[in-house]
Amino acid sequence: MTSGKTKIAYAVLGILTVAGIAAWIYQLMGGLGVTGMNNGTSWGLYIGCFMFFVGLSAGGLIVASSASVFHVAEYKKVALPAVILSTACICVAGIFVLVDLGGIQRVWRIITGFNPTSPLCWDICVICLYLVINIIYLVFMTSNKDDADRKVAIVSRFALPVAILVHSVTAWIFGLQLSREGWYSAIMAPLFVVSAMDSGLALLMLVLGGLNKSGWFKTEKKLMSSLAGLLATCVAIDAFLVGCEVLTMAYPGAAGAETLAVMTSGVTAPFFWAEIALGLLIPFCILVFARNRENMGLVMLASACIVIGVFCKRIWLLFTSFFMPNVYGAPGIISGSSASAHATGMDVWAVVGTYAPTWVEIVIVIGVISLGALAFMVMCQKLLPAAKKEQSSDAPAAEGAAA
Amino acid sequence: MTRYGIAIDLHRCTGCHTCTIACKIQNNIPMGLLWNRVITEGSDMVDGAVGEYPNLTRRYVPVACQHCENPACMRVCPTGATYKDDKGRVEIDYDKCIGCRMCMAACPYNARVFNWNEPHREPDFDYGDKTVPVRSKGVAEKCTLCKERTDRGEEPRCVVACMGRARTFGDLDDPNSEISKLIAERHAYVLLEEQGTKPQVHYFE
Repeated sequence: MTSGKTKIAYAVLGILTVAGIAAWIYQLMGGLGVTGMNNGTSWGLYIGCFMFFVGLSAGGLIVASSASVFHVAEYKKVALPAVILSTACICVAGIFVLVDLGGIQRVWRIITGFNPTSPLCWDICVICLYLVINIIYLVFMTSNKDDADRKVAIVSRFALPVAILVHSVTAWIFGLQLSREGWYSAIMAPLFVVSAMDSGLALLMLVLGGLNKSGWFKTEKKLMSSLAGLLATCVAIDAFLVGCEVLTMAYPGAAGAETLAVMTSGVTAPFFWAEIALGLLIPFCILVFARNRENMGLVMLASACIVIGVFCKRIWLLFTSFFMPNVYGAPGIISGSSASAHATGMDVWAVVGTYAPTWVEIVIVIGVISLGALAFMVMCQKLLPAAKKEQSSDAPAAEGAAA
Repeated sequence: MTRYGIAIDLHRCTGCHTCTIACKIQNNIPMGLLWNRVITEGSDMVDGAVGEYPNLTRRYVPVACQHCENPACMRVCPTGATYKDDKGRVEIDYDKCIGCRMCMAACPYNARVFNWNEPHREPDFDYGDKTVPVRSKGVAEKCTLCKERTDRGEEPRCVVACMGRARTFGDLDDPNSEISKLIAERHAYVLLEEQGTKPQVHYFE
């Protein structure tokens, strides 16, 4: 039987999910005008969360598949929760794209009118492929057949490149747009991959910590410390790539420097500096010392910082490039949003980009994330005890472990 | 081939916004949206000036879809809703638009607007040309180069309505057309040439 705490968790997440669905129905009725998005800043929190969750999905699968590909026996132990987490996160990411669509009833047009030059089409293909690989992975990992290990090894050889590709393609949605100064950069794909690795790995650590506490899945402290070391390396690479990009933007003192100014001292500055502090400096300073990596409290703190920091990075990455229109001049861009529909005079215009999420967006985001958390818990309850079956005799014992 | 375009004499543009309003009525554009806008270039104030007194300049630039030869919006559209038609215009098939707004992220000119809400008109009826398709909530729209008018041999509404006769419409592929001659003689330029979109809307002074 599930314990009282688990039941409460299910109930709370269920209510939040229902609230999210209700808000989404409200959005479908009123149109995307119920969000804070407008003609100047035409993507908002949904797309930010999409980037974030595609990234979170990575850590799990990259750790799990490299364990098989590079024969890191240690990491194989956490492969199952890692892949469960990755599956839940990629579904959440996919849902964020769907709730962002203005005409979801016409979404089948992507299949009939498939445009091979659109990075969005590539992304849909790669995300579907990634989801399928995750599911196959789960099936093989929980299989009791003799050759399951060999099958896992084969799948992992496909999973690793696809995991890297899914983040690269998501980066290309932004990185290939010449019109957006802050996005158009070859570093975007590697930056997304490494951000995905550090945020995904950090989330995996947090989840493993949680599973440890609930008794659903035990991870050795030594393995956690080893993963923390890998995390420190990913953070360092992330910092290096961000540094490369910032220097390249700043040095010529041209258009890039103007965009950088928006990031370092303009509207997106709080998010930029939060990422530098929470996403890079603080966790690195904690995790670089072996003694700190032994301390699970500090490891969890560093992981939480990284997840928040990378979320801030998604925010500044997305919105900085919407701030300054290429063709600049008053009255600017007609907003078109609901807020401006009732405005008079010049209030319907914006010379520079503006955006703030509305309550509808926030409720939907919380709802989608709750749905993902529910899916994760259900998968854990179904799959993790099964993995333990090898040691214990039968199903009741496994359920006992879950309680 | 025909490749329609517009050339705009900025010296003749007085910033009256008549083209904006004529376009709105012709194309049945709902409240809160516009396909064409006239910006006071480089200023954060309408009719403002750029520079330091007494060396001030002011220039109005009408901006709408540039009907690019290499349209960034068309490249990124996942459903093929945005297409380049046989007369060189960039058009949208509204039935195919899923409202992902990839095109709005890709367009360097912010030429596109989105039906964020159920379209609302004041006065409350379809005031546009009856041949112009009505767009629903959740699709992107933009200047069509007055597809319906130009198809029947008329000039776009903004060209006809401009009181300063600043706008010239014509076929860029015909070297003898008035627009081709103007572009050659008046050393016309395009907006954001460095973006490589090759606009078919040209500007000159």
